[in-house]
Amino acid sequence: MFEGLKSKLQNIQKKFGRSIEEAAGPDVVVEAPSPVPQPEAGRPAVVPDTLSSATVPKPEKKAEGFVAKVRSLIIERELIISEKDIVEPLEELEMALLENDVALDVSDAIIGYMKEDLVGSHRKIGTSVDTVVTAALRGALLRVLGEGFDPIDYVRSHERPVKILITGVNGTGKTTSIAKMAHYFKKNGFSVVLGAGDTFRAGAIDQIAEHATRLGVKVIQHQEGSDPAAVLYDTVEYAKAHEIDVVLADTAGRFHNRKNLMSQLDKIRRVMKPDLVVYVDEAVAGNDAVVRAKDFNDLVGTDAVMLTKADMDPRGGAAISIAQTIGKPILFLGTGQGYDDIVPFCPERVVDELVGAEG
Amino acid sequence: MLDSLSSSLKDALKKIAGKTVVDRAAVEELVRSLQRALLQADVNVKLVMQLSQSIKRRALEEEPPKGMNLREHVLRIVYQELVALMGGAGKVDLSQQTILMAGLQGSGKTTTTAKLARYFQRKGLKVGVICADTFRPGAYKQLSTLCAKVNVPIFGDPAEKDALLIVREGIKRFAETEVVIIDTQGRHALEDDLIQEIIDINEIAKPEHRWLVIDAALGQQAAEQARRFNEAIEIDGVLITKMDGTAKGGGALSAVSETKSGIVFIGAGETIDDLERFDPDGFISRLLGMGDLKALAERAEEVMADEEMDVNAMLRGKFTLRDMYKQLETVNKMGPLKQVMSMLPLGGMQIPDDAYDVTSTKMERYKVVMDSMTSAELDDPQIISGSRVHRISRGAGVSPEDVRELLKYYRVMQRALKGMRGSKFSMQRMMKRFGKTQ
Repeated sequence: MFEGLKSKLQNIQKKFGRSIEEAAGPDVVVEAPSPVPQPEAGRPAVVPDTLSSATVPKPEKKAEGFVAKVRSLIIERELIISEKDIVEPLEELEMALLENDVALDVSDAIIGYMKEDLVGSHRKIGTSVDTVVTAALRGALLRVLGEGFDPIDYVRSHERPVKILITGVNGTGKTTSIAKMAHYFKKNGFSVVLGAGDTFRAGAIDQIAEHATRLGVKVIQHQEGSDPAAVLYDTVEYAKAHEIDVVLADTAGRFHNRKNLMSQLDKIRRVMKPDLVVYVDEAVAGNDAVVRAKDFNDLVGTDAVMLTKADMDPRGGAAISIAQTIGKPILFLGTGQGYDDIVPFCPERVVDELVGAEG
Repeated sequence: MLDSLSSSLKDALKKIAGKTVVDRAAVEELVRSLQRALLQADVNVKLVMQLSQSIKRRALEEEPPKGMNLREHVLRIVYQELVALMGGAGKVDLSQQTILMAGLQGSGKTTTTAKLARYFQRKGLKVGVICADTFRPGAYKQLSTLCAKVNVPIFGDPAEKDALLIVREGIKRFAETEVVIIDTQGRHALEDDLIQEIIDINEIAKPEHRWLVIDAALGQQAAEQARRFNEAIEIDGVLITKMDGTAKGGGALSAVSETKSGIVFIGAGETIDDLERFDPDGFISRLLGMGDLKALAERAEEVMADEEMDVNAMLRGKFTLRDMYKQLETVNKMGPLKQVMSMLPLGGMQIPDDAYDVTSTKMERYKVVMDSMTSAELDDPQIISGSRVHRISRGAGVSPEDVRELLKYYRVMQRALKGMRGSKFSMQRMMKRFGKTQ
């Protein structure tokens, strides 16, 4: 995952570097003793203001400002990046983000953060352009990815049973994800019970029951078509009676624009009172990922996100989109068909991988 | 989000509408908002760029035909380019055939397989289904439950792990069956073993059709996945599923353009009957979030043929139940109800989103009620008295309240139409459309 975006981003970093370098222009000329005002040419009138406030105490006026600027150019060798210098690479960055399934609004936000960070920033001529650009990109990505979430730590520090409700639209992989999570928690020494709350889709109960058998965990199930809230209530009761650590509650896939189904989910939430609502969506989803993540968050609430099918798609844009839109951490990535194909999500590691470690 | 998007598109169009010559800046603004709309709908970035280039070029170079304003001219170009991109609906014939279903995990293959079985069954063909998904637990149970509901025979074995064996035996079992549909396990482009498996299935079954199932929400990845599937088994049709959500299905366009095939069906709902043949116009409307592109394009064709627009009697205030019947019929053919409603003269009243489900069934009922009326009643609804209401309600098998509700709806429409007269609203276009279905 993220391979595609990674190579794209690295190209673009170079582009940024080049544009900024070009804007800086006569890097070498500055070495000459005469204070040639050449470097000014490419930059707008804003420069003196920013500079005077940054390097010189306020009361001093234009003449002083100019001297200060010259000083900063020559002695401190600082350059200021203007918006004009980075328009082109920014556009290219936007295209790269879009091609990698980062939703339109979200890529707008990233571009915004980048601009905010870069425009008007000072750069010491000595420091490499790459450092500046990389730092800005890191900052922007970390801002949208948010903080990570440690599931093991969460279960340890909360009263058991920890009740986890899984939600999401149809076909994103909720049931498979539950099986993987069960496996993950079990491996980390917790006891798990599953609730077969998808009573709607044909075969769903069989599917989760089969997973439970293979994993050697208990599943609480009613008949197809029964009330999911009742099944999940029973599951929680079972967990309490048997001192189980983690309850994983499956639900039927539903579309966020079906009012009845969403209120059913709300009812389930009221009845079983989950500690965590985990919203499951797939890494290959495009712009709609943002719409439905937002609706699920608004209508029934979401505490964390699990992103499935991350192995299908080397891009990973949906992760960025969803995290930015609802501001909730990503808990796990699903990366294949086996029970072990589940990875806790760590934003910093992802960003490191995308733009190269901080250095 | 979508609303603001389509309104920015409309604003851009409005700017063009005021102009007499094509203005480069205005065209560029339109193309930009069009790009945003398409990107938001998950259409492949490269396709969007190609499309917007050719739209820009044509809008600036081509002269608008006589009698057509600039807005319509530009919209027509947009529409034509989009239609060209979509390549029309894929072919579906009602003959002896085997269909192999392929797609990513969770795209809706199994549900769609059952829906397809139902579709062919309703067309009077003998259908059999083979469950070659030997991996996902519960897959056989799911398909057999769905098929049992509509009495379609299914072949499969939840205990057997060899999909090829099942397909081989299934094909033998269904030798006498007209339509055989093979449901397969979900797989994706990077899983070489599974890609090889579907190549093998394809060789054993020698299906007439190999259809790719695409989730409407699938993003930029669609092109890559479709390319790989196409290399493996030569996809000749694309099915879009989950169109009842809010996703626009732009990913399917990438799939179509990669596979050089067409979209055959659209799945939009949870029940087994929720499968529709693909309709390019409804699809474009959805992509762009605006409903009147085709109507405009049609009007454009008419203007070009130098046809006289005949002013319908309705515009002079004569609007009978018969007209309304035609209108409802048109509505049924026109795809997403929400956009249709935005074209109906409801006096700009706001309809809450969840009213649409109810409304479409209600429209069906209105039609049934009108079927029980006499010609005289249809031409002149004034004569419908209490006793006639009772007769109609008995004939249609509905309650008298339903008949009265219909009459009320008719009066609202009539009033709205009268109010609309003279205004520059899209009435002419709308009337023309009704005229077409006569």
